Amino acid sequence: MKTNDIKAAWRSIGIMLAAEGGLMALCMVPALHFADGTASAIGICAAFTFAVGLLLWVSFGRYRRVDDRRMAYLMVVLVWLMLTLFGTLPFLATGATTSPTRAVFESMSGLTSTGATVFDCVAALPASVLLWRSMMQWFGGFGIVLMVLALAPRLGINKYALYTAEASGADNTGRRAVSTATTVRRTLGVYLVLTAAFIAALTSTGMEWWDAVNLTFTNISSGGFSVNSDSIASLLPIQQYILATAMLLSGVNFTLLYLFFTLRWRQIGHKLEQFRFYLVLCALAATFTVAVLHWHENIGWSDALRIGTVQTVSALTTTGSVVADTTTWWTPLIFLLLMLSVCGGMAGSTSGGLKVMRVLILIRNAKATLRDRLHPNAVTPLRLNGAPVSSHIRSNVMVIFMVYVFSLMLGVMGLMLCGIDATEAIGASVGCLTGYGPGLGASGGFGSYAAFTPSAMWLCSLLMLMGRLECITVLLLLLPRFWRR
Amino acid sequence: MGISQNISRESYHITAGLWIVASLLGALPYLLSGMDISPTDAIFESVSGLTTTGSSVLADPGRLPTWLRLWRALTQWVGGLGLVLLIVALVPSLRSGGSHLYASEFSGTQQRKLHPHMAKNVSRMWFIYIMLTLTLAVLLAACGNPVDDALCLAMSTVSTGGFMTSAGGLAAYSNASLAVITVFMFLSGINVAMIYNFATLHWRRLRRSDEFVVYAVVFTASAVLCTAAFGLAGNDWWRSACYSVFHIASTLSTCGFVAAMPERWPFLVSVLTFLLIVSGAMAGSTGGGIKLRRLMTFSRYLHNSFTRMLHPGAVLTVRIDRQTVPSDYVNKIFGFVFLYILFIIGGAFALTLCGIGIADAFCVAAANISNLGPTPIVGAAGAGLYYTMLPTAAKWILMILMLAGRLEIFALLAILSPSYWKRR
Repeated sequence: MKTNDIKAAWRSIGIMLAAEGGLMALCMVPALHFADGTASAIGICAAFTFAVGLLLWVSFGRYRRVDDRRMAYLMVVLVWLMLTLFGTLPFLATGATTSPTRAVFESMSGLTSTGATVFDCVAALPASVLLWRSMMQWFGGFGIVLMVLALAPRLGINKYALYTAEASGADNTGRRAVSTATTVRRTLGVYLVLTAAFIAALTSTGMEWWDAVNLTFTNISSGGFSVNSDSIASLLPIQQYILATAMLLSGVNFTLLYLFFTLRWRQIGHKLEQFRFYLVLCALAATFTVAVLHWHENIGWSDALRIGTVQTVSALTTTGSVVADTTTWWTPLIFLLLMLSVCGGMAGSTSGGLKVMRVLILIRNAKATLRDRLHPNAVTPLRLNGAPVSSHIRSNVMVIFMVYVFSLMLGVMGLMLCGIDATEAIGASVGCLTGYGPGLGASGGFGSYAAFTPSAMWLCSLLMLMGRLECITVLLLLLPRFWRR
Repeated sequence: MGISQNISRESYHITAGLWIVASLLGALPYLLSGMDISPTDAIFESVSGLTTTGSSVLADPGRLPTWLRLWRALTQWVGGLGLVLLIVALVPSLRSGGSHLYASEFSGTQQRKLHPHMAKNVSRMWFIYIMLTLTLAVLLAACGNPVDDALCLAMSTVSTGGFMTSAGGLAAYSNASLAVITVFMFLSGINVAMIYNFATLHWRRLRRSDEFVVYAVVFTASAVLCTAAFGLAGNDWWRSACYSVFHIASTLSTCGFVAAMPERWPFLVSVLTFLLIVSGAMAGSTGGGIKLRRLMTFSRYLHNSFTRMLHPGAVLTVRIDRQTVPSDYVNKIFGFVFLYILFIIGGAFALTLCGIGIADAFCVAAANISNLGPTPIVGAAGAGLYYTMLPTAAKWILMILMLAGRLEIFALLAILSPSYWKRR
């Protein structure tokens, strides 16, 4: 690794930190408005974060390019770690928690837009902290989309690890390649428009500004934090449906959203295969959930429809907003929700999980293998969106899948070693790795991770990071080979 | 479309059809025995035997008449080498399709045959199988067990079936018997061809087998880890070590015997057991699971992936036994592994519909698709009683899983797929 690369990486980290500091400063607004006495503490944190960011940015401003591949991977992880680290400041400074472990967990959960919380009663937190939690999810959600659509292709690391080129949809919005700056502008534009639209929609149903802003931030980013202890359960049905729409959109590829909003129908063309699969999966799962809720849990049709669809969308997009106490539901239903979150939304969206496009490739690969067994001489190409998928990409997707499954199992094993019982360990491992949030048992439903031991919390934080960065990126850093010259 | 393809289709037909018919026939003696055994239970017991799973729904196998106990053990013994030989026997008539079947589906990569002539190949495999069984039976009898018990256990062990002779598992057997059984469980997880070459002193043919090295390393490492976990949990160290070796041999070979357990059972052992259940034994052995050879292919491909992340231009191949595994074979293996995991998830989901908890559902689904059967990590499975208490629907789900695992999924899926039945 050359020093220039390291300096360029610090510059990127500086930019991100400065942005984080700026957002943190915005949290002073509710602190002053509600006069909860945390304004000065938040202000100091924001100034400090911004100053550190600016210092790095200015001092390494000349170094713009990261050429070394290893440095690129390291940078991606470092950015996330640094943002998490500085993100803990508001929690500690305002006294929301005194434990660094809990602060890191909450901060990581925010930035990775997971939505697992260590606070039993979030309603008791100061307003500034609540906004900061929402803000982090919003920022983190945007961060991951940006990384996938703009940064990764630029660094050339998307091809083998983060997302295959087809996955991101970033490779060809039109015939010509699009510059990074344009991608950033477009993504940010879509994100801001969506956010504004949903805040407006929620306030028009009579929701307070405060709730509308926070809930939009956390749901449009597939996050799932809430300002209420019962997540979104006490909202009006219409508000829950609006949030479900926000979640559903948060699971859609941003390039697709951009093309859709700018009415470039022709370019969408056959990019819709993933989208169709996503919608069909969502519809099927929602139907099952609604049916089970009605017949097995004896909930009336209208409530079953509302709870079923909202919770299914929340699971598939790995948002983690909770609309009813899921912990008492029938086991197969809980199982289904877990599996949906493992599947996740579309690649290039804010949602976590494996991503539907990978699941599609996996299913088609298995089908092709089966066909091959029956007709050994047949040529069995695999197509996605009309374009052939090379055997190389098929294998890569499989590797990511296996690493994902293995990480899940290691997560369960680790959590059990930390003294969590089997079912809850499965729930927490899935919840954290996929970015869904709620687990099973005490950490599921309206519950929190407050009862977890510190070691379990650290492990969960690691799982969240791994889930967000596709496991394989983090694992690469753990190999001795990575550090060898 | 050539002839080979049609025969390949038929071979699936034969394979899957034979297993299903055999399962039904195998159930008859249970029904005719006059014992109080329901048809579902009888078929379950028969499928469990033929697929060498060893999950038993009989409350107390010790009360069965001797002839029925022998029949029960015999179903496993026939099933143990059955599929291996069926595929091997079909290979010469299959031409290119056959080599696909034999090489990629069954074992993961190309494997050396014992003899170019298939009839010789088959008879040699049977020979070694019979010799192993007889040796074990004689040794067990020499340890002071009744002859019928010794024979039943020998057939259970060598086929990696795992039917036990009483409701208490193997708790009642002497340490010497358990030690002998442990050794043979380890042996039955090894590729049959390797054992043949070893036993007949054909050292030159033995050559280097990467998979065996992995098998031995996994076995040793797991046993050590398991011993440490038991020991640190406060059990007697010597007993921990003995039980660990027995337990790991039983799990890795997917035999599924259960003996008297140490009092304190650490979590680590449960998770380790789960991982071993899914991984399974060597390809070409009588054991089940994904098979180490496939996992080796995966881990080597993963290793290459990491290298490629750092050096995108690198040209890398997966090599096993100093031979390159073609990339389309790698894809097929991945296709299989994905389906395997999908079956475990689907099976677990179906089991939760029958009222089984999520953690247990995963363990039971994995244990049965891997043809392991009873395992101490679910409920009261240790005593072999777990399966007797399952609802009827759950038993049928498990039967499908057992068959899917034994037929390496594809044979079962192939005859279920519409394109298989399409006339052309």
